[in-house]
Amino acid sequence: MTAVNNVDHVQTKSGKAPSRPFFLWRHLNKLRWLSLTCVFIMLLLLPYISVYQNFLSAHAYDLLPAADKSLYDIMETITDPFVTDPVNDLDAIKGTTWSASFDSYKLSDPLAVVAQIAAAKRVYWPFVLTALLPIIFTVLLGRFFCGWICPATFLYELNTNLGLLLEKMGVRTGHRRLDKRMKYAVLVVGLLLSTAAGSVLMAAIYPPAIIGRELYYYIALGGFGSGSVFFLLTLLFDLLVARRGFCRYLCPGGALYSLLGRYRLLRIKRLVTRCNDCAKCNAVCEFGLDPMRDDFGQECNNCSACIAVCPTDAMTFILSPQDVAAQGPGHLGKRYRSTQQASLASASDEQVLNLQG
Amino acid sequence: MSGMLQSAALRLGFRYLRPPGALAENEFQQACIRCGQCAEVCPNQCIKFFDNEEGLAARDTPYIIPREKACILCMKCGDACPTGAIKPIKRQAQSILSDVNMGQARVDEQLCLSFQGKTCGVCYRACPLPDIALSVGMLEQPHVSELCVGCGLCERSCIQIPQAIKVIPHHLATRVD
Repeated sequence: MTAVNNVDHVQTKSGKAPSRPFFLWRHLNKLRWLSLTCVFIMLLLLPYISVYQNFLSAHAYDLLPAADKSLYDIMETITDPFVTDPVNDLDAIKGTTWSASFDSYKLSDPLAVVAQIAAAKRVYWPFVLTALLPIIFTVLLGRFFCGWICPATFLYELNTNLGLLLEKMGVRTGHRRLDKRMKYAVLVVGLLLSTAAGSVLMAAIYPPAIIGRELYYYIALGGFGSGSVFFLLTLLFDLLVARRGFCRYLCPGGALYSLLGRYRLLRIKRLVTRCNDCAKCNAVCEFGLDPMRDDFGQECNNCSACIAVCPTDAMTFILSPQDVAAQGPGHLGKRYRSTQQASLASASDEQVLNLQG
Repeated sequence: MSGMLQSAALRLGFRYLRPPGALAENEFQQACIRCGQCAEVCPNQCIKFFDNEEGLAARDTPYIIPREKACILCMKCGDACPTGAIKPIKRQAQSILSDVNMGQARVDEQLCLSFQGKTCGVCYRACPLPDIALSVGMLEQPHVSELCVGCGLCERSCIQIPQAIKVIPHHLATRVD
């Protein structure tokens, strides 16, 4: 608290106190968690709705086993306020984050479109148009899907927390740093393999698509498929090899969004005059970026965790197609003060020399 | 790798149907993005998904085993499919007859009760296109016409074990060895 109060008395070169970022930005992270939770709940709810519709169209409530009867009752209670004719009305929202339909409007993951074009070697425009809105948003907001919607992010961030808990209990977890460019290679190789196989293989290695599908398999079809094994392996990879390793280094979707969002308009910027070089932003960044040295790049997903954690309110959003250039150490940090003193000292030395000369 | 990626349709053995309106087998695998919406809207929940058993290329693609649960030709899956892997088809006899080609039913006269002199006719009662796709003659003996779309409801309802009427999937019937 004292640190925050101090900031307001700091004077910049121009003599104006640095402005505080808009106060709601630091609460966006909660909204992000709400969004992730809602998406995940929908992914759980939709298969149950599908099962419920199946029961409804069978007209055989009395023949259902007890467990299915209670499921029927629960789903009836949940959906009753929203529908008049459940069998048809409940078709309004279907699908997963990979591809979903809201009434007659369809939305698809841009990666699904790219992979399908690669596999089919032709363009089916009605499908390409379903990815138009996500592409526009990605171009404007960057890799926001990764932080705000992706159901895998929801589980991976919980996995990160599990890792922190394990570390507190004395279990060592993985903190390797690998090459972030690997995921672009995964994207390219995945597309080439899809073309070679004539099949959208990308769907089998892309965690959000896997999660949506496997939850449906589990709830409606009675058991997880082998995709869940792949997902569990990525969780282990994150835990034992590299924190958030799959998203940072391997995810083909993340690679595509990073490319699309390279010149995004909404960015996070460090206010150098308020920064005290505490490096909490670097510690909290799930994607292993370097916000403290103004290094966001194309891979920032605007998740706003660094804004939320910053003790001096030194992080804010800006509208700009490019990151600001590196601004040097924060003005409230030790390094900045020592360099200032050094330069002051050298300046006075020079003055002395000048006088002598 | 090529063995693993080999199209499911090119291997013998497992007899399954694709959802109604599905493209030809190879095109279907190229077009399907494995979103699972066809199964989610299926009111009969007859659509299931492959794991790795039919090869990597067919992973997570939808299929129907008519003996377990057959297609009721509600045509919702075609509307739900975002990629056109399952074509949208109107729920009218005319468009179903012209556009749906899941397979064709075939009667095994050795097994069929009606052909053995015990009047049955269950498959005829189950057929959604009676007298068009499936007609019955003397002793309710079933005769499948060229117009059969292969929904599999006859196979589902056959009271013989093993079933005396089977749907031969389109992709198996047109297979080139």
